[in-house]
Amino acid sequence: MNNEFEVLVYQVGKQDMAFDVEYVGMVIEKPEITPVPRSKQTIKGVTNLRGRIVPVIDLGKCLGLDDSGDASEQTWNVIVVNWEDIEAGFLVNSVRGVLRCSDAEVEQVSKVEKFGEKSKGIIKKDEKLIVYLSVDQILGELTAISELK
Amino acid sequence: MNEQYFSIFIDETKEYLQALNDSLLKLERNKEDIEAVNETFRALHTLKGMAGTMGFDSMTKLCHKMEQVLDMVRSGNLKIDDTLLDKLFLGIDVLDKILKSIIESGNESLKDFDLDELIASFSQVSEQRKEVNKPEEAESKTEESHTFQGKLEIDDSVKRVIESAVSKGFEAYYLKVILEEGTVFKAVRAYMVFQKIEQIGGEILLCSPPVEELEEEKFDRDFEIIIVVRDKKKEEVRDALMSISEIENVVIQNAKVKQMSSDGVNKVYAEKAIAKTGSPEKPEPKAKKRRLTQTVRVDIDKLDTLMNLMGELVISRSRIIDTLKRYNIKDVDESLSQLSRITLDLQNIVMKVRMVPVAFVFNRFPRMVRDLSKQLGKEINFVIKGEETELDRTFVEEIGEPLLHLIRNAIDHGIESKEERLALGKPPTGNVVLSAHHEGNNVVIEVQDDGRGIDKNDVLKHAIERGLVTESEAAGYSDEKIFEFLFTPGFSTKDEASEVSGRGVGMDVVKNVVGSLNGNVSIESLPGKGTTVSIRLPLTLAIIQALLVRVKSLVYAIPIANIDSTLSISHDEIQNIQDREVIVIRGEIIPITKLWETLQIPHNKVGESMNVVIVKVGNKKHGIIVDALIGQEDIVIKSLGKLFLDVKEFSGGAILGDGSIALILNVTNII
Repeated sequence: MNNEFEVLVYQVGKQDMAFDVEYVGMVIEKPEITPVPRSKQTIKGVTNLRGRIVPVIDLGKCLGLDDSGDASEQTWNVIVVNWEDIEAGFLVNSVRGVLRCSDAEVEQVSKVEKFGEKSKGIIKKDEKLIVYLSVDQILGELTAISELK
Repeated sequence: MNEQYFSIFIDETKEYLQALNDSLLKLERNKEDIEAVNETFRALHTLKGMAGTMGFDSMTKLCHKMEQVLDMVRSGNLKIDDTLLDKLFLGIDVLDKILKSIIESGNESLKDFDLDELIASFSQVSEQRKEVNKPEEAESKTEESHTFQGKLEIDDSVKRVIESAVSKGFEAYYLKVILEEGTVFKAVRAYMVFQKIEQIGGEILLCSPPVEELEEEKFDRDFEIIIVVRDKKKEEVRDALMSISEIENVVIQNAKVKQMSSDGVNKVYAEKAIAKTGSPEKPEPKAKKRRLTQTVRVDIDKLDTLMNLMGELVISRSRIIDTLKRYNIKDVDESLSQLSRITLDLQNIVMKVRMVPVAFVFNRFPRMVRDLSKQLGKEINFVIKGEETELDRTFVEEIGEPLLHLIRNAIDHGIESKEERLALGKPPTGNVVLSAHHEGNNVVIEVQDDGRGIDKNDVLKHAIERGLVTESEAAGYSDEKIFEFLFTPGFSTKDEASEVSGRGVGMDVVKNVVGSLNGNVSIESLPGKGTTVSIRLPLTLAIIQALLVRVKSLVYAIPIANIDSTLSISHDEIQNIQDREVIVIRGEIIPITKLWETLQIPHNKVGESMNVVIVKVGNKKHGIIVDALIGQEDIVIKSLGKLFLDVKEFSGGAILGDGSIALILNVTNII
């Protein structure tokens, strides 16, 4: 089986990463983000998305990357995803575009050690390596933490 | 099955089951209450009809049997006693179960219950009495019977069929079916009559008005038919037809054909008529009509949409006002204030539309209390107060379960056994009061019992055992603080040795639900005297008035309902008492909190004068220091979502006129 699927590719710091395109609702450029004091470190704040209040997650922090280059200095975008009944935004640096790839191009690098279950593998395409992230896992973990407390 | 009718059926059935419970409880208090018997009977009758229309046979059958029993009570042939009441209560529970099964799976099969047995037991009750009642019934028949002169015109062919049918041993009947006043689907009822006749093996020879007109509902509320049927007595035919709902009466007579006049028109008339024994003065149709004109059922989704739109409108209004202020445009002031007034009115109405009396949820408890007190062998006097208090319907739906826990706790653990109470010099009957009332912008719901109360030392002991608190820490705790432990998940003062179960069970559920509705719970208890648990809920959950305040560049909203006053103080006025910062206002010592410290916002500048918002929680005042007061505004509360469940400082967010977000402070958790 050689399934084809589409991913949205973006950069966090210098690293190319991707989400399954089916989760992605939209990409917003530089929305205003209101911080929520006392919330988790990984959450940047909330933003007004057409009258809805949507949490914005700092993807870099979430993945445990050092804040390579201050995000506020560069261009930054928020990718809005819909997962189960949650709508959430991920703060990333730049959005590159949609990429079509196939199962054959995904390498199960025994769960990219650093990101654990959060990544589904590495997409190898045109000499580039893209970390293929799992929206389910990331949001699942975050909500589980909230509900525990 | 049509979705729309289905949901109406579900809703109405729920209402009728509630009504049945209520009237049976009334009957239990006063077994002679004939009005309660009538209420029960009518509710069962309507329910039977509805179930029949939807094709739910078991439900119809059960209702019918229960109705028969009640009919006998009504006519004085049967006395209400406890066994009968228990049986009727059981019947209602089973109806409820059937309904649940219908909702869940669309069919009415009950896995672990033998419905036939129950039905049979009802039949037994009515059979037993039949013997005794026979003479009386016959008497009433003769009283009510009268000869009926039909005006149905028949032609020769029909006449011949009747004659030949009769000669072959069939019975020919003349029927006059009268529908209840206000019947909505007359054609459907007529169709059901026809279907029923076919079911019992009858054949319809003639019908007036003709079938086409019946289908188009071109008739008032009665129609006549002639049928032939084999081996069915008049009573059987009538009973079969009477089981269809909204049929007020069926007059059935033997059809005999006779040459009436020289013009050759045959008329049917009947000998020996039997009129229906049911009561001719039925108040039910009237009541039904009244309800129809007063209320309309609206899909809750539509109400939610309306509410959301209302929210958008309020936001847009603030946005317009913002813009006009910025450009200093004064010309529109008047029309703008008009707009504000209209939106406010509209908002109030939308809010009211969503409000329902708490009776909706309170009503189900008397039955539960009855069952529980019987089961535990305790005598409980259950009082409901303020059930007309209105609450947003979201709350009403959510609050049921917490109340259930509280009431169960009160009866199970609060109220002592009869002997124990007598030994303590208390009246043997325990009191449990469920009440609701308004308090400012809040609704307070209380569950109060006069039982043994909660032993705070016992609570403390368990809290220390579980490592929730150390002994030295706990020394200075107030009662309130100690009772807080009861809300810890899994906390219970259950003591195996003493076999007295604790009060903690389910309390965390209560706390969670109430918390999610922006409300709070508190416990007051006096050992030996009883316990009161109060649930405090905001009146509405969507649009509130709030004071906007600023800390650095961040804007926060404090609900006006929480605010006592605002004032400006100088830095020297802050004093330290027992490591707490306080201010003294008119002799009153008020502890204060710097909002930026609570929220951990880096903050360096402390000016000469500071703005303090005095908030009130319960009857305690507390000051919150902010950088600036911005002003009062209507805000629409929006949830922050699951990812912020761990943030207790905010109860939600609101979008302001300029599109920015203000987080709403949950004052109870800030101070």
